[in-house]
Amino acid sequence: MSSVTGGPPASESQAGGEGPEPRARSLDTHGPLARVLSLREGSIIVVAIVTAVYFSLETNNFLTGANFKTLLPYFAPLGILAAGEVFVMILGEIDLSIGAMYLFSPILFYKLSTAGISLVPSVVIALLCCMAVGAVNGFFTAVVGISSFVATLGMLFTFEGLSLIVSHGAPVNTPGAQVHQTTVKVEHVVNGHHIFLTETVNHVGTFAKIFGAGTYSEFIWALVIVFLLQTTLTFTRWGLHTVAIGSNKLGAAEAGVSVRLITIRNFVLCSLTAGLVGILEAVRAGSVQPDPSGANEILFFAIASAVIGGTLLAGGSGTVIGALIGALFLGILQDGLILQGVNANYKLFYLGLAIIVAMTVNVYVQRARRGYHSG
Amino acid sequence: MAETQPIETVVPPTSAPDDVLRVEHISKRFGPVTALRDVNLHLRKGEVLGLLGDNGSGKSTLIKTISGFQKQDSGEMFLHGEPYRPRGVDDARSQGIDTVFQDLALIDELSVYHNMFLCREHVHHPIPLLANRRMKQETRAALDEIGINIPRIDVAVARLSGGQRQAIAVARTVNSEADILLLDEPLAAMGAKEGSMILDLVARLKAEGRVSIIMILHNYVHVLQACDRVSMIQDGVITLDKPTNETSVEELTEIVVNEYRRAREQERSERQVPG
Repeated sequence: MSSVTGGPPASESQAGGEGPEPRARSLDTHGPLARVLSLREGSIIVVAIVTAVYFSLETNNFLTGANFKTLLPYFAPLGILAAGEVFVMILGEIDLSIGAMYLFSPILFYKLSTAGISLVPSVVIALLCCMAVGAVNGFFTAVVGISSFVATLGMLFTFEGLSLIVSHGAPVNTPGAQVHQTTVKVEHVVNGHHIFLTETVNHVGTFAKIFGAGTYSEFIWALVIVFLLQTTLTFTRWGLHTVAIGSNKLGAAEAGVSVRLITIRNFVLCSLTAGLVGILEAVRAGSVQPDPSGANEILFFAIASAVIGGTLLAGGSGTVIGALIGALFLGILQDGLILQGVNANYKLFYLGLAIIVAMTVNVYVQRARRGYHSG
Repeated sequence: MAETQPIETVVPPTSAPDDVLRVEHISKRFGPVTALRDVNLHLRKGEVLGLLGDNGSGKSTLIKTISGFQKQDSGEMFLHGEPYRPRGVDDARSQGIDTVFQDLALIDELSVYHNMFLCREHVHHPIPLLANRRMKQETRAALDEIGINIPRIDVAVARLSGGQRQAIAVARTVNSEADILLLDEPLAAMGAKEGSMILDLVARLKAEGRVSIIMILHNYVHVLQACDRVSMIQDGVITLDKPTNETSVEELTEIVVNEYRRAREQERSERQVPG
């Protein structure tokens, strides 16, 4: 556990404590690059920028507003999922059941809504159910003492199975996400004459606009959630105790940190964000798809985002912003490969190679960062 | 005299009118291992009690029980005459008992000042964000008062030396509001200079008379120098309870050596019985 630190372990040679001081001074004199690199998520920022620059040079359409809009649904949902996962991973645990929560919550939302409950209360109840599942995950991990990998794997299968049972495996339209078409007369000026032409306009209700269907809806959710959770992690007792547990569980317990309570709370948070993303995505797509394999892919990408963003699988260290940038990096890769016109069959192949190449670069950038960080 | 100190010499529950803490007939088992058999201990107001004992004798288990980290199987504890049953470390701390554990309970990833205030963090109102500036100031003041040289308090404690880490753990406890301090080997991993700094600190606290201290030490010279009274724990029971000015390094050593011989003999005879 003690190896889970930003720099190399302290040695006797710096017993006088003179070590850190000159390092910090040298950091300030290295300018903005050093300052970025001194951040925990510094290396992934550099890698993400390099990737973006590559695609903007290789393709004509990468650096356009329209492309940014197509990029959003790739990374905003992942960013939210990863944000919750970071809280569990910093504890040194993992939550695989987010795939199932992602799948289950829109199905539950649909069932509640079709049972006559109005939209927002249905969302709230569905999310409360996800939180209850998170509490069960936390209970099995912190109280019963099952490894979180196994406990949440069990919950993943259970709730993906339950999703199939409840939905009978059939896709349905997402409640509240119906697209209305209205015909409006639009005024045009042709050769100085004002003429009116009828056009059909698609629009969705306010509920759908807020819960995922609006162009920037998921992006705004992601920014707000990442901001709130990063603030919680850095500036509250909850966040401090989360890091404490992940870094030294016994020591944290001896100091009086309620390990069980924090563990359960973080699993609840993680399930909540996963359930929310499930509903946002179902509203955006307009349909609820009972597709476990798709959900599992999302699960993988979410954990990858967190790890790529600098969160350690071993716990004790991680950032929510890093996870968002990790998600952005994965989004840029997927979107860029599509823009390059890569054959659909090759996409996954290239994506895999690109991740490995980028992460190799990341390791070297990280070493440079450590160089700035600890001399 | 030495031969009259077999392990069966169990110190019975004793008390003084100015006791702040009494421990009576405490026992604790971990599966097949009996860590504490029948421990009786008392701590008077303002005194420094040295707790001696070999590895595995139950010292740390006793400290962990008093600190609220674990519950005893049987026996009672009394704090200021009232039954004392801590629900946890936090609860014990709120009742005025704070501990430096043997493993220090420091968090490598967190800064010096966050470690100083771990679980006692200052927060702003009404939005409960951490009051980092206040914690930094108070940490600096506390470390200066003790006289420990830690140039930067915003670095992770992983970057500090063993002695500095130990000093922070001790400072954290001394700096708390507690009136009973439990120090589990506060001098381990410390250099001579840092060690004497901690002993000076204990002497200063003793002179102030506000806190009472139970301190586990290995060095008998330190015990005689820093403590008012010494208790020896052997094989899960207290076998000696004397004011330090009535005992000597020689007597303490003799007790330990005799116990070692007795245990060896017992082991040998047990081995011969089945054969």
